[in-house]
Parts: sequence; C-alpha cells; structure tokens
Amino acid sequence: MAAPQSVPALPSHVEAVDVANRRELSLSQRLLGSTAFWMGVILVVLVLGFGIASPDWAMLQFSNFQSMALSVSMIMLLAVGMTFVLGAGELDLSIGANVMVSSVVAAKVMAAVSGSAAEVQAGIYPNLAVGVAVGVLAGIGTGALFGLVNGVLATRLRISSFIVTLGTTGIGTGLAFVLSGGVNVPFVPRDIQTGFGALQLGGVVPLPTVLVVGISLCLWYVLVSTRFGLHTLAIGSSREAAGRAGINVPRHVLSLFVLMGAFAGLAGILDLSRFATTNVGGYQTTAMGAIAAVVIGGTSLFGGRASVGGSMVGALIPLVLATGLVIIDVDSFYQLIVVGVILVIAVYLDQRRRERLE
Amino acid sequence: MADQIVIEAVDIHKAFGSIQALSGASLQVRSGEILALVGDNGAGKSTLTKVICGALKPDSGRLVFWGKEIDVQSIRRAQELGVETVYQDLALAPDLSVLDNVYLGREPIASSGWRRWTRAIARDVMYERTDEALRNLGIGLRSLRSPIRSLSGGQRQAVAVARAVLWAKTAILMDEPTAALGTKQTAIAYSSMRVAAERGLAVVVISHDIPRMLKIADRIAVMRHGQIVTNRTAAELTLSEVVGLMLGSAETSAA
Repeated sequence: MAAPQSVPALPSHVEAVDVANRRELSLSQRLLGSTAFWMGVILVVLVLGFGIASPDWAMLQFSNFQSMALSVSMIMLLAVGMTFVLGAGELDLSIGANVMVSSVVAAKVMAAVSGSAAEVQAGIYPNLAVGVAVGVLAGIGTGALFGLVNGVLATRLRISSFIVTLGTTGIGTGLAFVLSGGVNVPFVPRDIQTGFGALQLGGVVPLPTVLVVGISLCLWYVLVSTRFGLHTLAIGSSREAAGRAGINVPRHVLSLFVLMGAFAGLAGILDLSRFATTNVGGYQTTAMGAIAAVVIGGTSLFGGRASVGGSMVGALIPLVLATGLVIIDVDSFYQLIVVGVILVIAVYLDQRRRERLE
Repeated sequence: MADQIVIEAVDIHKAFGSIQALSGASLQVRSGEILALVGDNGAGKSTLTKVICGALKPDSGRLVFWGKEIDVQSIRRAQELGVETVYQDLALAPDLSVLDNVYLGREPIASSGWRRWTRAIARDVMYERTDEALRNLGIGLRSLRSPIRSLSGGQRQAVAVARAVLWAKTAILMDEPTAALGTKQTAIAYSSMRVAAERGLAVVVISHDIPRMLKIADRIAVMRHGQIVTNRTAAELTLSEVVGLMLGSAETSAA
C-alpha cells in the first residue's frame, strides 16, 4: 500500500459528540407529529360535538354508528387502495368509472349464471351460489383488468397517470353505459343483499364493514412493514433513487394500478350487495371523494409519505359531517363546503411540513 | 488488504452517437487504496465509472473482477460483485428514513415468528447495522428514523457514503462526492473514504480538486480523450505534472 497520506482529521468540536448520542423521536412525539392522529382527534371531536348538539343524542345512537359504518365501507376501501397509488406519486381518477363498469359486469354475470333468462325474470335462481361466486370474481377481475390497462398505459407508454386515468374514466363510463344500455341491470339476485350486504357480524357490525376494515388493517401492515410498502413510498419519494436501488419501478407501479383496480371491482360488489342493484350513472364524485379522504388523512399528494390509518379516518370525516349536519337539521350541502375547507387545510399542512423539514 | 488489483477495465470503448466518450480506456483499481480519477471535462471519467458500476454498457472492452472476466449487465450485478456507487446527486429518497435509504432494495426479512411468515422488514437489524456503520465512519446523526429531507447536505452525503461502505465488498466509486459540500463536510467525506480504504476496499474518486487529491489519494489516474494516460502513486506526481497530463502538454512523461 502507498505511503500513508495526511488524513484530514475530523473537526473534533463538531458532530463527533452526536456519534454516541442518537435521539429518536418517541412514539408519542411521532404520534403528535402525524396528520392522521390529528384528523382522528378532529373526527372524535366532530362525533361528540354533533352528539351534544343532536336532539336525543341521535348522533351517538348505536344504530347511527352501524349505518355510518356501512355507508363508509366502500369509500374507505377505495381510499385505502388510493393511499398506495398516491404514496407512489401516481393518481387514479378512473376508480368511479371502474366501480360502475365492474358492478355492471358482476350484476350481468350473476344474473346470467344464476339461472335461465326466464327463471331469473321470475325471481328463481337455481344456480345461485355458483352465479354469485362467478359474478363476484367477474367484478373483481374486471376491476383488476381496468387497473391493468391504466397501469400499462402509464408505465409502458409513459403517459402521466393523471391523463391516462382521465381518459379511462370516459372509456369506463361509456363502456358501463353500453353494457347496461343506460339502465340498471335487472334481476340481480336479492340474496347478495340479504345474505351479505345487510347482514351484521354478531348482529353488531355490518359484514361489509368487517371485510373492509380487515383489508385495511392488512394493507396498513403491508405499507408500514413490508418491502412492497417501502418500495411504494420510495418510488413516490424519488423514482431515480428507487430505480438505482434496484427496484423495478414500472412493474411496481403497474401492480399498484392493478391492486387499485381490483379494489374498485370489490367496491362495486359491495355497493351491489348493499342496494341489490347497479347504480349506472352514479359514482361521478367517487374518485374525488377517495382522493380527498387520502389527502385529508395525511398522505402526500406529491408521493413518498402515506398513511392507511389516516385514509380510514379521512374517509369517515365527510360522512360524519354529512350525517351530523342532517341530524342537527342543517342543510347537508354544507358538508361539501366543510370537506373542501378541510382538504385545503390538509394539503397546506403537508406543504408546510415539507418546507419546514428542508 | 494489500494492494491487490480487484477491478480491471481493459480497452473500454463507449460512444454516445458521434461522440467517442471512451476510446480504449484501461484502468486498474487496487484494494486498500484511494484512487483519484482526474481529467478535464469530457475526458470520460464519469462514463468510465458508470461502465464499471454497471450503469452503462460498453461498446467493447473487458471488465475483470478479482481476476475473472465478467459481463456486468446492470447496477444490481455490479452490486453483487461488491461494487457500490455514490452518485453526484446521492440517489436518496428524501421522504424515507436514513435507515430505509441505507437498505433500500436489500431489506432484510425478519428471521422468526409471524413477522417472518408475513415477510416483514427487520428494521431492528437494519438499525443496528446502520448505527454501527455510521459510528465506524465517525459520522454523527441524531436520528436514523428521521427522513433524509430533514438532514443537511453534509449529512445526506454521509448517509450515501455510509450506504456504500456498508454494502461494498470490493470497491466504492464516487463521482464528485464533495462538489456540494462545505469545508467541514468535505473533511468528513474524505476521512470516511480513508476509513473505507483502510478496511481493504478500493475507493475510486472522481474530482476536479487536484491539489486535494494529491494530498488524500494514494494513486492518481489521469484521463484525456477517453483514455487513461497515467496511473501512478500520488507521491510520484506534482500538481503541474498532473495538470500537464490532463491538458496533454506533457506527453513525454509517460507512465
């Protein structure tokens, strides 16, 4: 080895002290610094506030919680999926259209497989179990396929996902209208409502809510504790850095769109089971609602930072506002205004945080 | 540890369209020493290091690692051969923690229980090893869980270097590692390079700061017009000789 060179000595007065002195934030400090936590506080305050203001504590009635839990399940599922999409710095505006087309396909398949045309018209479903199973798979499959198209366009053709999904929103909506002829699909077996959508676990929690909360908690774990979650945030934070770390960025982004699509398909099934009918022409504000929930919950619109718990809370806030306003007899249209204001505040806080950290 | 040749680039050619970036560059990189790669702008320094780290495929030429010729297809492959790169822009994800950045793409999975079954990342292992790597380099960081975004330029540099040192088995390549740093951070960066070299790694540094390189490097390789024109110990060279070799006014002082 060559002669030892003059090694620049570390300036002893600086930084060296810190080497032995790590100071990580405690759990409570991290909690207090998270948007999700504060939105949770706001949610509790809202519920209690409306509870106090509502006649006969109507807001705090058990049945009201049950009905809110059921109402929120679809948007919560979509918000949780969207958390990953936004976390990776992507956007999916097409989920409303996806929910619509998936539910139409699911309903048509259910009706077609459950019995002959004459039978289902008479309300007889000889192959009910098979029909429902195949219909559910068809709905989720359609959603995933829709997501795959989004993902392929966004990654292979390198079109921004904002534009891709704006385009596929139109395509999906049009497709749903073409498939359904513009009217709700008839002869959907009612049993999906009586056998799932309107059932409660132990007579307490609506089954769809149990399913959605279960999925959400799993995805929470995936985001926080697995490579898949970390790589999602890495891509959202810096594509360049993620790519150089050996992450296959296009493939990962593609899988996120497929996941989001499958969730939209499942959301379509949930709505189908809740109302026992499709809702052709609905879902116009679904994508915006889900994105708003995610952003309110502290996930960065710029990607890189995401919170599944925050999205769950963020999905609940608009619903609690709407429900509470109705209960205290204020026009529920104010809900739109309040949610808009909260959304702007959430984005502002996110931006402030980034600036403060720099 | 001894200065064994661990990487050898032989007769590397690389063109970008009509521009010949490398025209027969040959470089030997030895373990346990800091090699400064100097040269004028466009001499091919960055291109050569990118070929070695797997980021660019050469048009022709051979790469030999530990005496074996290997076709390095990707950054991943180079990493498997123990070659780590510190990029000029550091390639860190600003929203992720120090810990997650150091391990990104190579996260260890928990070794037991349901966390293993669910393939959870073993952040405790990551924390321990990152902490150790930073301590060994003498780098002070208050928190390994705070995002890169909250660190100073020097601290970010330190994280990038620590990541390279932690993973490198053969060599660390650094492209202008101190370009954006202040005096203090530069000193820290150079002392970490020395630590890495003392641990037996080959350290290749691209820099324009030739006086500094003459002080801290063991060996200087000068590039001109896509070729290595000299590769000698720093002690044998003077500033004016190096500048002369870079500019081509000292053709006769052959290596």
